Amino acid sequence: MIRNKTLLFILRLLVGGLFIYAGVLKVADPVDFARDISNYRLVPPVIAFLTALVLPWIEILAGALLVLGVFRRTNALLIAAMLVFFIVLVAVTMVRGIDVDCGCFGTFSRKADWTLILEDAVMLFMVLQVALAGEAGKPAPAARPRKPLP
Amino acid sequence: MILTKRFWREAGFVVGLGAVVGLAVNARLIREYIKGGLNPAFISERAYPGAVLISLPEAEDLFAGGQGIFVDARSVEEFQAGHIAGAMSMPYEEIRNTDPERFVAALPPGKMPVVYCSGGDCLTSLALAKLFAEHGAGEIRVFQGGWEEWIAAGLPREKVDDPE
Repeated sequence: MIRNKTLLFILRLLVGGLFIYAGVLKVADPVDFARDISNYRLVPPVIAFLTALVLPWIEILAGALLVLGVFRRTNALLIAAMLVFFIVLVAVTMVRGIDVDCGCFGTFSRKADWTLILEDAVMLFMVLQVALAGEAGKPAPAARPRKPLP
Repeated sequence: MILTKRFWREAGFVVGLGAVVGLAVNARLIREYIKGGLNPAFISERAYPGAVLISLPEAEDLFAGGQGIFVDARSVEEFQAGHIAGAMSMPYEEIRNTDPERFVAALPPGKMPVVYCSGGDCLTSLALAKLFAEHGAGEIRVFQGGWEEWIAAGLPREKVDDPE
């Protein structure tokens, strides 16, 4: 587990910053994002539409709060949960082989591959370090003095 | 334990606030969606510059009047198994990895290219139209109903016979 405060801050900045960036890109064109979600062929159009409206804002909010250090552990875990979801989603899509013969993903298709899973996994590792390090000002759980054994 | 009550409370706040902001900011878009004003496959023409989406009657007119040249964006195998009568095979997956300009140049002058793929929510035709637009093609129509809608309407088709 990482305890170095500077390093933890850099990790928060990196992951939070990436989430803000990803969210802002999607906020700019929700209809386009709805199409990307539809292409996964897992949810009906109305769910894809609502997800496209809401998810980017949750990404921005969680990313910004992580950078600012507000609800630090909660946001780290929330982002970790989103990353796990993305990894499973891309893996499932690859296994289903959806893009094999139709080129149906547009520009997104080139990204939905193992390198994307790898990137998400690296971010997941980084953000879990933040989550495990505990809240600001409090010692991490493992660092608390243990009761002497009877 | 990491998933404490506090976690659920704070996470609920972040997710809830994100949802409220997302829905509020996009209120106009939601109204448009409810009214059915959005393309069902969420395709915005803005994302595919150069492509003008057309429906079956318009495609039929271009076919019947002879002003259009149909361009099949699907794979060669799919094209051989059956395609719109008189269509040219321009498989997107191959073209994007080779020389798009050569294919743009092969489009007959004076005819409106009408690109199509399998139909439903296939995006190959749009991707091809975008690729062509980027490589100097003029106006292009995209027939979104594609092959499925064409055969369902019983319109003229042909296939490439196996060489004997």
